[in-house]
Amino acid sequence: MSTILSIKNLTMRFGGLTALNDFSMDVAEGSIHALIGPNGAGKSTVFNCISRFCDPQGSIEFAGNSVLALPSHGVVRIGIGRTFQNLELLQRMTVLENVLVGLTRRLPAYIPFAPSPHRSRTEAQAVRDAEEILDQTGLRPYRDSLAGELDFGRQKLLDLARALASEPRLLLLDEPAAGLRNREISFVDALLLDLVKTRKVTIVLVEHVMQLVMSVADRITVLNFGQKIAEGRPNDIRNDPRVIEAYLGSAADA
Amino acid sequence: MYGELTVRPFVGVLILLALGFVLPLLLPEYFLYLGNTLMMYAILALGLDLLLGWSGQFAFAHIAFFGIGIYTSALLQLRLGVPFIVGVPIAAAFAGLVGLLIAIPATRLRTVYLALATYAFAECAQWIFRAWDSVTKGSDGLRISAPDIFGYVVGTDRRAFPVMAIILALVLLSFLYLTRSKLGRELCAIRDSEHVASASGIDVKRTKVIAFVLSAVFAGLAGGTYTLFQSFVNPDSVGLAQLILVLTMVVVGGSGSIAGVLIGVVLIGLLPEFLRAAPRGLLVWQEFFYGLILVLATMFMPRGLWGLWQSLFARAKPQPAASPAAGARGPAA
Ligand SMILES: Nc1ncnc2c1ncn2[C@@H]1O[C@H](COP(=O)(O)OP(=O)(O)OP(=O)(O)O)[C@@H](O)[C@H]1O
Ligand SMILES: [Mg+2]
Repeated sequence: MSTILSIKNLTMRFGGLTALNDFSMDVAEGSIHALIGPNGAGKSTVFNCISRFCDPQGSIEFAGNSVLALPSHGVVRIGIGRTFQNLELLQRMTVLENVLVGLTRRLPAYIPFAPSPHRSRTEAQAVRDAEEILDQTGLRPYRDSLAGELDFGRQKLLDLARALASEPRLLLLDEPAAGLRNREISFVDALLLDLVKTRKVTIVLVEHVMQLVMSVADRITVLNFGQKIAEGRPNDIRNDPRVIEAYLGSAADA
Repeated sequence: MYGELTVRPFVGVLILLALGFVLPLLLPEYFLYLGNTLMMYAILALGLDLLLGWSGQFAFAHIAFFGIGIYTSALLQLRLGVPFIVGVPIAAAFAGLVGLLIAIPATRLRTVYLALATYAFAECAQWIFRAWDSVTKGSDGLRISAPDIFGYVVGTDRRAFPVMAIILALVLLSFLYLTRSKLGRELCAIRDSEHVASASGIDVKRTKVIAFVLSAVFAGLAGGTYTLFQSFVNPDSVGLAQLILVLTMVVVGGSGSIAGVLIGVVLIGLLPEFLRAAPRGLLVWQEFFYGLILVLATMFMPRGLWGLWQSLFARAKPQPAASPAAGARGPAA
């Protein structure tokens, strides 16, 4: 398998705090690569660097593109979608509209002030595509509910559905299972495996729920205080003394 | 929003057009004057809401673009003899151009800072209208000549009324389509979360600039329609009092909703008429009342009367009450 995402020597400082320190990581195409570590280790910061919300030193290459040369809105255009750890949703928009916003970069332009056949075709197709994604994520019954009125688990799923709508080659998932119940976790588990299998998506998964990580990840990278402390297959990581130490040291919920 | 225009709003626009032609045959001049005023404020308020309610940008330069629209179309007519039908689009475009110049620095600002900077701009514009004596006649104000539309001379409220209705109908239609478009959803997306918007591929800065410019164009157009039924403008017509009035219309009616804004325009726009019937002493308090209503509405009714109505009655939607992921069929294998 070839490398689709290559992060090299990433350093990100917030004032005096070094959130990422010379962090490197390669993600193989078509894999589920978990990124774990105690609270505050810098996992979300890695995503925020890729999304261009942060301006780090180092380099991020994705499928031949230099990510750090792109503006924030350009990242999804080269095929990188993401979800957010703290429910960031379009609260006052409906479930369907959230997914339509996810689709937006794929829609051709049209004059917004007037009707036209081109517009009608574009919009009808967009709604069909969005509904298909709602079916896949089990959100179809809530199509016209406001996103802000969904329960926690469904808001998490909607965030994922919106990210999927851009048809990403790489999905960055920031704690998709946090706060979910067991039944919901196994749903997410199956969904992720299905995405990799049927849509050929590559996934980087930040997650504290070890049950999920261990069951879906092909490879795991462990961060602590902004530095990589271990990398390998789930079984090697499970027994790695440095990893156990890092987690015990911070009394995380692993 | 998304999809095709539904029948209901479309019928609403047709009724407006019909009233535009029928009411001048029935009502006395004063009521038609009120109608014209309300229709002008509707265009102004919808334009403000595009920025405030749809895009979530707390920008208050709106009244300046309204002023630019009034003065530009009035001066084009008066000094250069440019006909209304040409002058008003030029005025709207000019307001849009100034909007573009303001938008580029303004999109770097947020919340209170944006509100202050844009309000300062509105004050500057009013100062220019007052100080640029040789062109605007300063505080004395400018006489506006009666527009002539292909030989149809609009000298009275009765004759302005149908023209006003046609313009408002066009504005409403373009608004209805805009809010259902990709661009409309992108505006809402930057209002709800700039992070989600840009992670979805929306150029947040560019979209904000578009919102500013469109909003300014609508304000400029509203300014153009002022010249249809008013015969005089001075800098006091485009000051803080008018800004608060339009803001109150939007907030009380319900920002982020066309129906809400229209309700706000009618209720708040007619308020002075009711106050007029009250004892004379009350009239002095008019400005105070608007301020008070605005404060109370933002505190207790953040989504306006329309939002309140919807949460009480209209949106009693049935939500499947099953536990999470029970509704999920599981991933399609
Ligand atoms: N925008 C920011 N400004 C200042 N400090 C930040 C910012 N973003 C993150 N940090 C800091 O950087 C460190 C790493 O944060 P990050 O959110 O990446 O951790 P995380 O591994 O995702 O943790 P968690 O598991 O709690 O989500 C933390 O100490 C955090 O306080
Ligand atoms: Mg995090």
